[in-house]
Amino acid sequence: MSFTSLTFLAFLAGLIVLYYILPRKCQWALLLAASCAFYLCGGAKTIGYLAFTALTTYTAGRRLGVLNTRWKALDAQEKKTRKRAHDRRRKGVVWLVCLLNFGVLFALKYWAFLAEALLRRTGLHIFAPELLMPVGVSFYTFQSIGYVVDCYRGKVQPQKNFAKYALFVSFFPQIVQGPIGRYDALAPQLLAEHELDWENIRGGLQLALWGYFKKLLLAERTAALVNTVFASPETYGGAVLVLGVFGYCVQLYCDFSGGIDISRGTAQMLGITMAENFQRPIFARSLTEYWRRWHISLGSWMRDYVFYPLALSRPFRALGSFARKHFRGMLSKIFATSMATFVVYFIIGVWHGANFRYLAFGLYNGVLITAALLLEPLFVRVREKLPLCWDGWLWRGVQMLRTGAIVFIGRYITRAPRLTTALSMLRRSVTDFSLSQLRGGALFSLGMTKADWLVVLAGLFVLLAVEMYQERGGGARALLARQKPAVQGFVTLAWLAALLLGALGGYTGAGFIYAQY
Amino acid sequence: MEQLLDILQQTCPGIDFTASDHLIDDGIIDSLDLVTLVTVLMDEYDVEISVDDLVPENFNSVQAIYDLIERAKS
Repeated sequence: MSFTSLTFLAFLAGLIVLYYILPRKCQWALLLAASCAFYLCGGAKTIGYLAFTALTTYTAGRRLGVLNTRWKALDAQEKKTRKRAHDRRRKGVVWLVCLLNFGVLFALKYWAFLAEALLRRTGLHIFAPELLMPVGVSFYTFQSIGYVVDCYRGKVQPQKNFAKYALFVSFFPQIVQGPIGRYDALAPQLLAEHELDWENIRGGLQLALWGYFKKLLLAERTAALVNTVFASPETYGGAVLVLGVFGYCVQLYCDFSGGIDISRGTAQMLGITMAENFQRPIFARSLTEYWRRWHISLGSWMRDYVFYPLALSRPFRALGSFARKHFRGMLSKIFATSMATFVVYFIIGVWHGANFRYLAFGLYNGVLITAALLLEPLFVRVREKLPLCWDGWLWRGVQMLRTGAIVFIGRYITRAPRLTTALSMLRRSVTDFSLSQLRGGALFSLGMTKADWLVVLAGLFVLLAVEMYQERGGGARALLARQKPAVQGFVTLAWLAALLLGALGGYTGAGFIYAQY
Repeated sequence: MEQLLDILQQTCPGIDFTASDHLIDDGIIDSLDLVTLVTVLMDEYDVEISVDDLVPENFNSVQAIYDLIERAKS
């Protein structure tokens, strides 16, 4: 069931009515039933994977809870003698559940790719069945593993009721493409009793409408341009290729952040606040900051469950000690951290999918961010010596443009069908660039009509204006809430009308790009 | 405490550690600074700081970092 289908809107309306009519203590059970129904509508054949993850991580959490309780009951002397065995058991549980779940994720995402690569390079044939990809498999796997690690760290109390835990794993607004929730923040809200609050209904509806605006008016229209250009990039000149990649940047941002707004808006109408996933990445002044603002929940998950343990692991600490002995200055201190950072960005790149271009994308980001870290002392010295206003609007603008350009180049890699195509497109974007390639009606032969271009340009103007206002600390929904009811009603109706008009012409919403990851 | 402040400032020269009591919450120390600091502190003081200790409360101020090291020593 797609978020952009009429079936979903009917499903949501019915759910909200039932949710606030039924006795409060039944709300979480209703949410679980609704989540199961939602998942069955979209992936009945793959629900076994979701059940497997829920069951294994639930069992691991319970086991860790038992071990932690037994540990607390020991006296100081017993703790001293049994510490090593206790740690080994707890780590064993975490490793086992990680192996099982990441093993499934690996098999689903990479096995066929590896088998094909092996066959092509060595002629060796390995068994590679065609497996159906479960909806949101990465997202619920990460979320569930995060819960197990939090149990291991004693940060959360394991959930004893499997049905309640299953709701945390399968909560329908997050299942398609996140955000990746944390148990301590999300579960108490899912299990709490919620009174009908019109502020939540209004705020959630507005957020969801904003998401539909981004998805239906902007992402879907630019998708037509992007698909046309990337279907046969060899037939276009550099200017068209640049326009196609720019369209992809718009499509990807509006598709993903729009989907997340719909998810968060839906949850808010049910009285549940989900984690933020975007913070206007267009205003980022460095690549690191860009990834901090883009897909925030994945970034923070990677930080807490991969980067920290990796950077403080024995091999990386040994690498740090080696660097401090053999290098000088800042390099000696940040070398190991930079290497851990590289590994994390590489993993994020590979996480996007089984393809050499995603490997390249991971390397591209990892190398640039690591280089920026290692060269930071040099930049500090340059800034000290050059008497320029390094915090003025001009330099900030230059930094944003520079970051935008780096991200822009990276998008060639992720969208082109092959890495070699991406490199060829990049080359021709520079060597074969002429604005004349866009003249003479060429713009309107790329999948978008004149009306589509007008809608997209007007939509981008509104999007940019709202994001600039938010970047300065303002809240668009709060601003609307301060207006007279008639103005609020007019804006909401105008928005609905724009969405209905925007959906005309067949732009009723395909699947979300990030759902495939 | 002064020795600790020296180490902190040498490790992350771009950060004024005395400027805030919410170094993590205010985003003055990011995750990269944090890990760099922790690895240097573990070496300098010969203590164990685990991933579980990497929470804002332990790094929001110089005093909090000092307290963490004292706890780790004992």
